[in-house]
Amino acid sequence: MEFRPRLPEEGINVSRTHPLREALLLVGGVLAVAALVVVMGALAVDLLVPHVPARWEVRMFGALWSDADEDDLDEEARRQRAELQTLVDRLAAHWPDSPYPFRISVLEESTPNALAFPGGLIGVTSGLLEGVESENELAFVLAHELGHFRHRHHLRSLGRGVVLSVVVSVVLGGGGTSASELLELAPMLAERSFAREQEREADEFGLELVYLEYGHVAAAGDFFERIATPKTRLVRQVEGYFSTHPVNLERIEDLETLAREHDWPRSGELRPFSN
Amino acid sequence: MNPELVGIISQLGFPLALLGATYICGSLIEAGHYRHLRRREKASVGFPAITLRSVPASWTVLDAALVTGSVVISLDYFKRFLARLRGLVGGSLKSYETLLDRGRREAIMRVKEAARRRGAHAVVNIRLETARLASSRRNGKGTAGVEILAFGTALKLAR
Repeated sequence: MEFRPRLPEEGINVSRTHPLREALLLVGGVLAVAALVVVMGALAVDLLVPHVPARWEVRMFGALWSDADEDDLDEEARRQRAELQTLVDRLAAHWPDSPYPFRISVLEESTPNALAFPGGLIGVTSGLLEGVESENELAFVLAHELGHFRHRHHLRSLGRGVVLSVVVSVVLGGGGTSASELLELAPMLAERSFAREQEREADEFGLELVYLEYGHVAAAGDFFERIATPKTRLVRQVEGYFSTHPVNLERIEDLETLAREHDWPRSGELRPFSN
Repeated sequence: MNPELVGIISQLGFPLALLGATYICGSLIEAGHYRHLRRREKASVGFPAITLRSVPASWTVLDAALVTGSVVISLDYFKRFLARLRGLVGGSLKSYETLLDRGRREAIMRVKEAARRRGAHAVVNIRLETARLASSRRNGKGTAGVEILAFGTALKLAR
């Protein structure tokens, strides 16, 4: 046997697939499957949520929001919370078969916002309270959150959030650090894309409660009108997509339409609110 | 501009830019390494480096010594990203194939260089070993890189 010089053969141990092609196929495939799972999961949540008794929900989450935060409040904050709680109780009285023991809490946050948490907790930001000019407009914001409870939106959001974070963590577990920046982003986007329809449902219920409490729906849309600054159409469309509470003029128009349809008076005496 | 939009763009843009940049860097470095390898392989093609365990009967051995050639190479961010995705669905980790191919060929070139420096004429009984280096992340996942070690017996022959 004789030694014959030979160069190493190429193209056997290395696949010919272009790395970018591989990247496109993998990213596209994984995203498509993940999106499918998220959509199916969200559908399953929507089917399941109406069958979850509210008693279970209150038992599971109610304890989380018990009086724990009360001790940290000073005299002034405690008085304000009690005042808000009275307003919530008055509104909730018009929803007699409500299974929730509603509780309100003030969140230190300058962005005006209100949130519904599972188990009956309503959060309002201090920024919202500062901007309020009458009790009636605050009442509508709170009644709107009660509307979210009425339609179990908070549970649907929670369910979707769980589905999404499971899928995201599975994908990212494989996708590595590069995609982990998306972790915060994805739930936010999904949350927002479906929230607008819910806002309309909650608005309808909220407006009805306000009417039952005051006999008219004056000033209900004031709050949104005040924070909706005029913008170009494109900016409004883009923002509308990305915001959970569509604060544009369309929403105020929707409120007007609702009031007209139900024959709820759109003017009346406003009650002051001391902020 | 809406601060949320800015946030979304920066959150999406940063990983994408990093992937793009590491893909370009990785491809340039890899192409350069292959060019370098092919040149050296051609230059040393006449130097026998074989896997036979025994010395051919016709050779007269004057001296024998252990020679090693070792390479440590790292994955790039883009390759690691591809491999992680591949890990979800299964299949061959094509993005690592070039990495290991380069490693093996480089290690063999280094064995030949080591043998040549000792004045040897051939290397027999060449073996290859691969070792994963310590984790690059604290949770024990991730790979800092691989070491590929080639070793064999360098022979000085009477001609």
